Amino acid sequence: MKTLTDDMLKGYFQPDAEPGELARQVLLAARASAQESGKLLDRLAIQATVEGISLIRAQRLEKPATAGARRLVERAREELYEYFQGKRAFFSVPVDLSETPDFQRRVLEAARRIPFGEVRPYAWVAQTIGHPRAVRAVGTALGRNPVPFIVPCHRVLQTGGGIGGYLFGSETKSGLLALERTTPIYEGCASTHIVCRVGCSSARRMRPDNRVVFASVQDARSVGYRPCKVCKPSRAA
Amino acid sequence: MGRVARGDEAAFTELVGRYGGRLLGVARRLLGSRADAEDAVQRALLQCYLAAGTYRAEWAVSTWLYRILTNVCVDELRRRTSRSGQLEPPVRPEAPGRYLDLHRAFGRVPTEARVLLALRYVDGLSYGELARIRGISINTVKSQLARGKSLLRTALTKGGAS
Repeated sequence: MKTLTDDMLKGYFQPDAEPGELARQVLLAARASAQESGKLLDRLAIQATVEGISLIRAQRLEKPATAGARRLVERAREELYEYFQGKRAFFSVPVDLSETPDFQRRVLEAARRIPFGEVRPYAWVAQTIGHPRAVRAVGTALGRNPVPFIVPCHRVLQTGGGIGGYLFGSETKSGLLALERTTPIYEGCASTHIVCRVGCSSARRMRPDNRVVFASVQDARSVGYRPCKVCKPSRAA
Repeated sequence: MGRVARGDEAAFTELVGRYGGRLLGVARRLLGSRADAEDAVQRALLQCYLAAGTYRAEWAVSTWLYRILTNVCVDELRRRTSRSGQLEPPVRPEAPGRYLDLHRAFGRVPTEARVLLALRYVDGLSYGELARIRGISINTVKSQLARGKSLLRTALTKGGAS
């Protein structure tokens, strides 16, 4: 039997030796990230109906016909910008899949259920829509995803863990997965003590030095934060 | 910090030299392995470097660095939880033999208390600094630390008896 002493804790928590290369590595990464950011979004064209976003492609698209649709396109662009910056962990802009064939729509809806930052195999999607043998058809349906990013077809991988194909190339696909691995999901504001999903509109005015990341809404509650009423972070889990 | 914000790489290297070891210590106790800790510290320092312009002089530099680092570590712990469905102790214990029990026990303490314990014991930070880093009240800091220690104590007692 052991008892806990302060000396024991101090011994266990000794600081580590500082590795000499750390600063240089960070500076290299900083240069790389300055070149990378914002490139993909510049290439994207977005189309919408009044119901929601209907098409995202890296090519010229017709301008949306109505003011409502134009507003949705603006909103999508803003959300995508934040997403690529690592400042958004969910999309709230609606999508319009009414022109999408039934099978493909079910595939896309299954892909939408994959949580931010996680991945599933093609076979999982096939199973989820009740066609466990239609793995190849699932791949094709995802490859023609009209609204990539918002419907996260990039979170579907090969069963062995292979990256699989992607509309914008497999390098972009693994880039997106890496981005999601380093984007937090829950953040609290140290001055209001409210916890939000990252990207919530009501947290937009939060000063950067008030940002506190939490591992779960329950953790945030345990130290006196309450969930935001706008983005309802408890439902995200 | 002003020099770092203006892109002075020598000032940044000096900053890393001064705080790098302690940041690594905190990250390693939280994440378990040295490799994961280095990765987290690198990501945190990158954020610091890119966001140096938003640094406000009312913050102690160390407090600001620890806030960013714990934000990265807490999110890393979330990812582990969501993958396995429950909090798992780090896979490969790298603690020296006599701390092995403590290391295992530490893995069972809830995230918030774990973060506070690591900050408190790696760098001897005050309750006030801990409160500032995690954006919580001093009373919450005290109760979380007490809860964390009592969980450690219970786990150690049980571990030793079995």
